[in-house]
Amino acid sequence: MTTTLKYAGKFALVTGSRRGVGRLITEHLLQHGAKVAGFARGDATFEHSNYVHFQVDVSDPAAVQKGFAALKKITEVIHIVVNNAAVLTSQYAMIMPPAAAQAMINTNLLGTFMVSREASKMMRKTKWGRIINIGSMAASLEPIGDSVYAACKAGVSTLANVMARELAPLNVTCNTLGVSGIKSDMLDQLPKEKIAAVIAGLPLPRFAEADDILNVLDFFASDRSSYITAQTVFLGGVN
Amino acid sequence: MLNKDAVHAIIFQALANVNDERGPDEQLDISPATILFGTDAVLDSLSLVSVIVDVEAAVSEVSGRDVVLTDDRAMSQEVSPFSDVGSLTSYILLLLSEPV
Repeated sequence: MTTTLKYAGKFALVTGSRRGVGRLITEHLLQHGAKVAGFARGDATFEHSNYVHFQVDVSDPAAVQKGFAALKKITEVIHIVVNNAAVLTSQYAMIMPPAAAQAMINTNLLGTFMVSREASKMMRKTKWGRIINIGSMAASLEPIGDSVYAACKAGVSTLANVMARELAPLNVTCNTLGVSGIKSDMLDQLPKEKIAAVIAGLPLPRFAEADDILNVLDFFASDRSSYITAQTVFLGGVN
Repeated sequence: MLNKDAVHAIIFQALANVNDERGPDEQLDISPATILFGTDAVLDSLSLVSVIVDVEAAVSEVSGRDVVLTDDRAMSQEVSPFSDVGSLTSYILLLLSEPV
């Protein structure tokens, strides 16, 4: 099989790169020629000659700034950012622990903001950038138990849309990829019957495959998508 | 410790970076009196943001300490630190004069 190096010469940053969708995206970018930095709370879970791992908890603004200071020692440019890091606690709002709600806001929303903020300062220099937030079907489907998580994921779309306006003069696009259910550690936290009911209700009633996600990622990240910004693309027929 | 001339030089360089992006007829006149913010400002909002980001980064690098120019304190100053090059210089020197 021939692999096209569509990301040759590109430097990408992926948050939450250790596992799940983040690792999937990281490996895809590496496979297609990108150099990739990963931000995650834990140690790296894989090695690649073009991958460098930074232990960064994106929920902590100071840690993000330190992470970028370390990143700038190995690269002056960053082309693609994938804001994937997220945490999920699913619970009725009346019994959701405030600490769990705060953790979701800090990682899912504030972390996305801080990484986008620092990355855009670097993209400003090269006047080219792609910021891709990983959203969720929860933002649209608003499932019971996901009050804060869904609000955060709606928030990352809005964040991308506003930053799209701010960064448009710099040729930086900001978009959101609203993933549907994909078999992952995060989804394993939820009751199987709840997931089954959500999937059954989708216009395309199946789990997302890796390529469903990577297809939209490639679309947002491509040179040809310079006129595509402030958009949220949901998978599986969610709208 | 950065002195007034050194801070001026950093701000002038940030403004020169803006000029690099502009055409020959749109060049900023760079001096200590250059107005950065307000009704008579010579910078559009995105250019001002670029200047702030460049100045923050350069001052932090040269001084060896993290300098934040856009926190609540800056916003609550009676005279905006971003009024002109002189006021920004004074504000940076004030921040650098304080203990870490």
